[in-house]
Amino acid sequence: MHPYLQNIAIIAYVCAMGLALAHLVQRQAYVHRLAVLATLVGWIAHTLALVVLAIEIGGPPLGTLPNAVSVVVWVVVLLEMLVERQSGVTVLGAFVLPVVVVLSLKSSVARPVTLALGNAWIWIHIALALVGIAAFVLNFAGAIMYLLHERQIRHKRPGRFYHRLPPLETLDRWTYRTLALGFPFLTTGLILGAVWARTAWGSVFAFDPLAFFSLVAWLIYAGTLAGRAAGGWHGRRAAYFAIVGFAALVVTLGAGLFLPGRHGA
Amino acid sequence: MPLFAAGISHKNAPLALREQLAADEGKVREILRDLVGGGVLREAVILSTCNRVEVYGVADVPGEARAVAFRHLCRQRGVEVTAVEEVLYTHAEDDAIRHAFRVASSLDSMMIGEPQILGQVKDAFALAQGCEAVGPALHTLFTQAFAVAKRVRTETEIARHAVSISFAAVELAKKIFARLAGRAVLLVGAGKMSELAAKHLVEHGAFPIYVVNRTWARAQEMARALSGTAVPFEELETALAAVDIVITSTGAPAPVVTRDVVARVVRSRGTRPLFFIDIAVPRDVEPGVDALPAVYRYDIDDLKSVVDANIRERLREAQRAEAIVEREVAKLRARLGDVEIIPTIVSLRERLEEIRAGEVRKALARLPAASPETRAAIEALSAGIVNKILHAPITKLRESSRAGAHRSWLAVVHELFGLGRRS
Repeated sequence: MHPYLQNIAIIAYVCAMGLALAHLVQRQAYVHRLAVLATLVGWIAHTLALVVLAIEIGGPPLGTLPNAVSVVVWVVVLLEMLVERQSGVTVLGAFVLPVVVVLSLKSSVARPVTLALGNAWIWIHIALALVGIAAFVLNFAGAIMYLLHERQIRHKRPGRFYHRLPPLETLDRWTYRTLALGFPFLTTGLILGAVWARTAWGSVFAFDPLAFFSLVAWLIYAGTLAGRAAGGWHGRRAAYFAIVGFAALVVTLGAGLFLPGRHGA
Repeated sequence: MPLFAAGISHKNAPLALREQLAADEGKVREILRDLVGGGVLREAVILSTCNRVEVYGVADVPGEARAVAFRHLCRQRGVEVTAVEEVLYTHAEDDAIRHAFRVASSLDSMMIGEPQILGQVKDAFALAQGCEAVGPALHTLFTQAFAVAKRVRTETEIARHAVSISFAAVELAKKIFARLAGRAVLLVGAGKMSELAAKHLVEHGAFPIYVVNRTWARAQEMARALSGTAVPFEELETALAAVDIVITSTGAPAPVVTRDVVARVVRSRGTRPLFFIDIAVPRDVEPGVDALPAVYRYDIDDLKSVVDANIRERLREAQRAEAIVEREVAKLRARLGDVEIIPTIVSLRERLEEIRAGEVRKALARLPAASPETRAAIEALSAGIVNKILHAPITKLRESSRAGAHRSWLAVVHELFGLGRRS
């Protein structure tokens, strides 16, 4: 039942992504409505899939990394729908859904291996890290939009998206807020993970690739946040760092999903 | 009820002729009364603006009505009829509906999407209503035209993007800044166009406004006009550090705002974007400032290319608007067709009911002993026959009206059932 629902959700997300990208280029109102509908259908199927999964395994579906990534996707889609409704930025889906699709596909092809889970701390570690990652997906989408829009305005070439994107200041504020939201979650999540790793494995990293790469991602985000808060970074530089940080995060998840280590395989 | 729209517009008639033919309200009223009162047209609306003079009418003989209407207009305005007839266009039926929709939606305007025309059409319609020149057909046509215009405006973007330099500048500012309210604006130089752009910004809530000019008196004058503050020319750099949007339009032969100055200013500004709108020729702001972080500079050519891109966008959107118009024309055609066939259907029913009632009376008169059941059966029998007979012609009429070919069928039905002159 769960794989079946999961597949429906992924197919719906792929359709929604296609429609959202078509809307970005074509800008027909009905294409956007269809994209929203497909996203909603996917999200509902996804919700059911997660509920069924939770019942099957008798606990929150965070025990394996692919499942945890699936929960990240679920949170991201929910946030995307809410923010799009709230802000009226109808192009958001075109930037968030591709990430959603990549993450969904990644988590669905990875080997489902159960983690060596211990006490409640580890659940909090996972949950916090996931909220952080969800915020960084939106951070990444905002950075991409900012760079596209900034480029068009700076080079004075009003292109296809010129009329579709929100003002630069809004996008800049957007990337700052999502960074400021995601960072504390990621930080606390990592600290809990490290503390737990030390007590369980006797070492903070214990030669785990996911732990290593997540530290890299954390350093990038920490640097960006410091730069923004104290160094007056903004705009393009902040956006580039958001993209680099997210790339590190994707590598982190990829490492967790595909490389041998204590988080997965 | 043949419908037509005839007239001259910016598309084919020179301005001189349009000017001559354009009539003011009083004249239009007079002409409408003559035309409709004289019985040439059953209904009429005259639209007279500086870009078009058009008559929308309903008449039994549209060709004649059109000729009379424009002869009348020409006589009133003292214009040579032949000059008008050369460029006069006429649209009939569906084409007339389409034309009315396109005009009201600003698809036939000189600048596609300009907002004035809808108001002008509404005024013309109200004027004709005041003269009792509007009947059911034009009423349906125009109320629908207003609805179509509204649909086109909300569902497409033909009216959304700036097509003038000063509005394009404001639009750009809105792409950079989240809100224009509370943004400080600096005017360097005191040109007409920069004043216009500044006024648009003020309308969007920009505040405060500073004016710098080599001539102190001129700076003060301009500051007064914009409720702003005049700033001495020597304090240009200080002012630059404080504002968000700078509009330059001096007549200076060399750049007034150099890259070095802006580089210094940017360091002190932190993260706030700085937007230069340079409408001076030669340019007032060194193009090199483009490379500085969070500095955006648009000169007059850049703004023109934005305007061109916006016009192209409007034209693209116009194609979508045309599709909407096309669908609405088909819908209205069906509705107008219904308006025309309904009286015939009603009189057809009345005619047959009359015959049936008469024959039933006669039959019952010959059957004085008939029981109430028998009477009821006779009533039901006759009503059943009438309904069965009516079914086919009514269905045919409805179908033909949907296809827009109901006129000849109406004539046939009138002829066959002896319904007399249809109205």
